[in-house]
Amino acid sequence: MFKMEPETKKRKGMEYDPDSWHVLPVLSDEMSDDVKLLDAYAAPITDKRQTSRLVKDLSVVHPLADLHHIKRVRACKDKSSPHPLEVIVCLVSDVSVPTTFVTQPQRPASLTDLLSSKDFNFEGLGEPFPVRIPARAPLTRPQFEQASRHWPTSFHEDKRVTLGLKGQLFTSRQKAKIQEYMTTAVEAARSGREEGMDAVGAVIVDPKSGQIIAVGHDLTQDHPLHHAVMVCIDLVAWAQGGGVYTYEKHPACRYTASDPQLYAGHSETSGSEENVQPYICTGYELYVTREPCVMCAMALVHSRISSVFYGTASPDGALGTKYKIHCQKELNHHFDVYKGVMRQACEELTPLK
Amino acid sequence: MRTDHTDHTEIHVINGIFHQPSDSEVQRWMSSAFNMAIDALENGEVPVGCLLVYNDIVLGKGRNEVNETKNATRHAEMVALDQVLEWCSHRDLDPKEVCKHTVLYVTVEPCITCAAALRLLNVPLVVYGCKNERFGGCGSVLDISSGDLPHTGTSFKCIPGHRAEEAVDMLKTFYKQENPNVANPKVRKECMSPAGGTITTHTEAAPHEDDVKMAVSD
Repeated sequence: MFKMEPETKKRKGMEYDPDSWHVLPVLSDEMSDDVKLLDAYAAPITDKRQTSRLVKDLSVVHPLADLHHIKRVRACKDKSSPHPLEVIVCLVSDVSVPTTFVTQPQRPASLTDLLSSKDFNFEGLGEPFPVRIPARAPLTRPQFEQASRHWPTSFHEDKRVTLGLKGQLFTSRQKAKIQEYMTTAVEAARSGREEGMDAVGAVIVDPKSGQIIAVGHDLTQDHPLHHAVMVCIDLVAWAQGGGVYTYEKHPACRYTASDPQLYAGHSETSGSEENVQPYICTGYELYVTREPCVMCAMALVHSRISSVFYGTASPDGALGTKYKIHCQKELNHHFDVYKGVMRQACEELTPLK
Repeated sequence: MRTDHTDHTEIHVINGIFHQPSDSEVQRWMSSAFNMAIDALENGEVPVGCLLVYNDIVLGKGRNEVNETKNATRHAEMVALDQVLEWCSHRDLDPKEVCKHTVLYVTVEPCITCAAALRLLNVPLVVYGCKNERFGGCGSVLDISSGDLPHTGTSFKCIPGHRAEEAVDMLKTFYKQENPNVANPKVRKECMSPAGGTITTHTEAAPHEDDVKMAVSD
């Protein structure tokens, strides 16, 4: 299925069924973890007319600092309840539990336990009950849905993330393009394997033109640090008039200077951006058969890559497996990472030694 | 207790544990690393310099070459490691065996990329000047040096803090200048995440902070 046929470029990517793989975003831990919950007390609002006053008074006594995402009042889940609204009284950690409460845990906390301030007006507030509320704002739709089962929160939806998690971020045309680039990476990996290298291949693309800027494969038999990604980064440097190493012995490792038209200021959208010369990997995409290691992942941060697509995970991988360097908060550049591209073809390449 | 034996390997490695270099060794090699950093500064590169020393022989000497090569991974350590590999290849020696007995002396904590590269080559010890709060791979951002990465070579030890203030001052000097090698900030801002972490080497807001932030990595 994957014979090296460089001249059949038009057919490239067509032999492999694009429906056989799914691309998924590699999100930060805080976006992919389960929603953490805090113990709190809520109470029914027995007199609806008191609602706004109660909310105001409660937020003075128990302001729920750092929980701006929490909606203080919710519609009662149980439609048969005589009280349609419920309000959060306080967090369990906001109040010191009376000793009787500790010794008799079966006795529910009373409003006076929770609202010790003498002048609090309890009018319209029913007996408190325990609830669990989301500790921070949900960042994804699955987190929002999970959080909402406990207590309503605000949610600023990132539509791209939602589509990404559903595997619907890319159109079938975009997916065909992704497959075309990954096919080139797989072919490069095979060329490398024929030279006795680890079967890992990588491609760097300028998405503005669709042009492949660099193709590289593992060269660790020549140089222990020449992973496919490091090779590609250096080939991009060559394309920009720099570069360190020579690759003459490895014909599958190649580069093309990026389309000068695109940067000449004559393009139709001749904004100021277009007039800028390419700068390292700014705005570029990387396609690599397996998840980059720590060295390569950080090299991509230094090189300002814009997105990374990989086929299969690596045991010490740094874009999802061991670290998520692409969304490491302390770093000054972040990028999108997608995994699962042509997973099977990538897995079938010889595993790393 | 060092003697002037020719068989240095025996002295450096005791029971498989790397022998720590003496104060005078550290001073001598670090002073040379600082000279490399000055050279980088004079050539418009981020002032970081390093030495790789194997049994009292300097096998590699590097300084940042990012702007010259347009390759953001050409950090001092990578440049010096290439010289070690070259040295090994001339003598038909296994680079990892040589690196196992090699100490890196560097003015700034190695970044995450370099820390992983040092692991991949089995370098056991790194002596450095100041911390690298933005990119450091020996604890400042991530602890790659001692991380649990069984497929990424061997972990290494660090001796931090040698002439740290001087190393920071050099970085500050660099960051106060505008880096002419970076692209139009307009384009970059789009690709950059909201302001990266602060850096200790950057206590005062430089006039071209964005350019500075770009340049640090390189």
